[in-house]
Amino acid sequence: MINIKLKQNIEYLTSLFLSVFAALFIGALIMMINGQNPMVGYKALVVGAFGTKYKIATTFAKTVPLILTGFATAISFMSGIFNIGGEGQLYLGAFAAAYIGFTFTNLPVFVAVILAILASALVGGLYAYFPGVLKVKYNIDEVITTIMLNSVAILFTTYLVNYPFQATQGKMGGTDMIGLSYKFTKLVKLSKLNTSIFYTAIIAIVMYYIIKKTSFGYNFKMVGENSIFSRYAGLANKKYMIRAMVISGALCGIAGCFEVYGVHYRFLQNISKGYAFDGMLVALIVRNNPLGIIFMSLFFAMLKTGSISMEVATGIPSELMLVIQSIIILFIAGEQGFKNIFKKFRANRRKLVK
Amino acid sequence: MAQKIIELKNVTKRFPGVLANDDVSLHVNKAEIYAVVGENGAGKSTLMKTMYGLHAPTEGEVYIKGKKVEHFSPSTAIKNGVGMVHQHFMLVPSFTIAENIVLGSEPRDKKIFVDKEKANEIVRNLSKTYGLEVDPTVRIEEVSVGIQQRVEILKTLYKGADILILDEPTAVLTPQETEDLFKVIKKLVNELEKTVIIITHKLNEVIAISDRVGVMRQGKLVGEVKTSEVTEKKLAEMMVGREVLFEELSRDEIKGEVLIKAENIVAKDNRGFDGLKGVSFEIKAGEILGVAGIEGNGQTELIEVLSGMRELKSGNIYINNQSTTGFTPKKIRDLGVAHIPEDRLVMGLSKESSITDNMLMGSQHNEKFSSKGIHLKRNVIVDHAKDLIRKFDVRTASEEVTVGSLSGGNMQKVVIAREFSFDTPILLISQPTRGVDIGAIEFIHDQIIKKRNEGCAILLISAELDEIFRLSDRMITLYEGEITGEFKNGEISKNDIGYYMTGNRKESK
Repeated sequence: MINIKLKQNIEYLTSLFLSVFAALFIGALIMMINGQNPMVGYKALVVGAFGTKYKIATTFAKTVPLILTGFATAISFMSGIFNIGGEGQLYLGAFAAAYIGFTFTNLPVFVAVILAILASALVGGLYAYFPGVLKVKYNIDEVITTIMLNSVAILFTTYLVNYPFQATQGKMGGTDMIGLSYKFTKLVKLSKLNTSIFYTAIIAIVMYYIIKKTSFGYNFKMVGENSIFSRYAGLANKKYMIRAMVISGALCGIAGCFEVYGVHYRFLQNISKGYAFDGMLVALIVRNNPLGIIFMSLFFAMLKTGSISMEVATGIPSELMLVIQSIIILFIAGEQGFKNIFKKFRANRRKLVK
Repeated sequence: MAQKIIELKNVTKRFPGVLANDDVSLHVNKAEIYAVVGENGAGKSTLMKTMYGLHAPTEGEVYIKGKKVEHFSPSTAIKNGVGMVHQHFMLVPSFTIAENIVLGSEPRDKKIFVDKEKANEIVRNLSKTYGLEVDPTVRIEEVSVGIQQRVEILKTLYKGADILILDEPTAVLTPQETEDLFKVIKKLVNELEKTVIIITHKLNEVIAISDRVGVMRQGKLVGEVKTSEVTEKKLAEMMVGREVLFEELSRDEIKGEVLIKAENIVAKDNRGFDGLKGVSFEIKAGEILGVAGIEGNGQTELIEVLSGMRELKSGNIYINNQSTTGFTPKKIRDLGVAHIPEDRLVMGLSKESSITDNMLMGSQHNEKFSSKGIHLKRNVIVDHAKDLIRKFDVRTASEEVTVGSLSGGNMQKVVIAREFSFDTPILLISQPTRGVDIGAIEFIHDQIIKKRNEGCAILLISAELDEIFRLSDRMITLYEGEITGEFKNGEISKNDIGYYMTGNRKESK
């Protein structure tokens, strides 16, 4: 039997790379229209992302929330229930973790960190649990509820940090600092890269293992692909959908915790810059593939860090990278359409050759 | 000499990696009924699609009415007078019959509005001319499948077709509807000089209706014969490429205990009405109970309520002496039940998953396939899938291809292989050979009988009376959710059972 899996993977990777290159090519065209040299621009981008130790560290630091929210999206989307509420879960998770950090300042570091992670996972998971239950029990569209719950969470935490938990010293829109010793160690001076990347790596490995190697991952996938079939075959669909939501929410919550303990050391009212949505794009592009999430997160992080340096160095606006991201998604979404065009093209060529 | 109305010369059609049609040359005469038969994947549909212009042949030429087809598209085909009725109807459910028929070239009132009265008039006239009775004002969603098919035929006739291609037209029809359809076809051909090309895999129908038959196997036209000079058995041999026996199945007599017991069960159908209205029966170990009936008379509700996929409204079901009221499908499976569902794509498979993953479903927590029920043992799983693929002769390039890319018959084998591999004492089987070709039907029937002889209690629902009569020990007829008769096999003939399938009751002694 021929190795179909390998063939499918190669086919998929080819189309992914083609999409990325096509997007970069269009980005180059835009630079040229603007009168800038794309080679210079892209060089500045890569140098900006990987040129120095500090820059590499910054790029890797940016992968942390992307990987976490990427896996959060993957687990829910693959199970056929769509958690679009990652941003809200992240905010609540971050606040919960910060609360532990500034309330109990004298715990052993180890205990405090574990507590913070658990609290953020619990709060994030719980916040995703309710829309999950509404979905499976009353068939209330989870896409709508989770989107709306984003605003609820963000505005609620904004209230919290501006009123009951406003920082005692000056700072507006933020809580008190977490206990000094709780801060995650920085790996590279001045950069944002900290030990949370190791925790993230562990979580990524665990998620990879669950999705790819266990019966649970298999069940999530089957429920997502054909829920009538999975019920027929004896799976408790509702349970799996709720589980997927809770895991998804927990991962977003943890992403929030890492932002607090690794980067800001307090909760800020605008702590996330749309991380959950970026993570969603990452997962969508790689179709929930675990390894893909890791690499695509790195690519997105590179675009983010690099584009700022690029703007400084060459004057090419960093927003161009948003254009490139969008184009990649457009291409991936249009993949089937392109395949058909290619097929026609090839068929025509065959005719001409004859 | 009859006039050649369609002629194919050395038509070859290649898809990536597949040779669907291999150098096929044939012609169809004016005013004849030409049947194309062949197993699944033999290339029948591809050939018909070429005739209808849905795709161009890779090599070869097509002539319609003596004119070479240069540009392949359905609109050209329609202009040339070719019409096709697909297996799955393409009608708008919320439109009336007349609206569906004139869709695309509606009669206009002051050039803007659709003139509904005129459309109805047109359809009434068409009906009269062709002897296809329909009420133009009724909406499609309110009429039976048989009527919908008439509408499809009328649609092509309205567009001026004099060559009709019918793709598996009887697959969805009841025996009565099939008879009506054949009358219509004969009238179209004999009285109105239309030409009909019919694709089917039901050989008795070929014999009953066609003038000539083309037999396809693996993309090639392996024979073309006059129907009057051939038998069903001979056709089957040509199709499969070897002798097909359909021997009497050997039965062991097992007097087992009752494994399935239904008492007055009532269940709602999808529209919320009672689809089952108090049905009672028993099935013993080593027994096959066949359920005969025209589709839509409660069969779906029956198998779904037994398997836990549908809620039981009232009554009792005992499986292995255990009442299953309120049980999930999982709990019922745990009692030793396997289930081959009526619609494999909706319920029996995940199209996007590989064959391997589809075969694993239901045993993923089994210690054999995952340590502690968690860590999947991929090697064992793949070997298991390969083993089943071999045993059940699933035709595929690899166990990793997605099930959606298999032909219908092979998909069905995947479902049967999986469900039979559970080795349960109770089997609920619906339409086991729908869309499956002759060679595979023989195999599936053998497997079912084997299970019976091993002592399984089997419920068999099928729209094919041949199948019911071949396999069942006892049979019941179902009409509008009620049992209208119960018979031992041999007690009644296929012709007579139709009487009970249409609502007449057997007098109970």
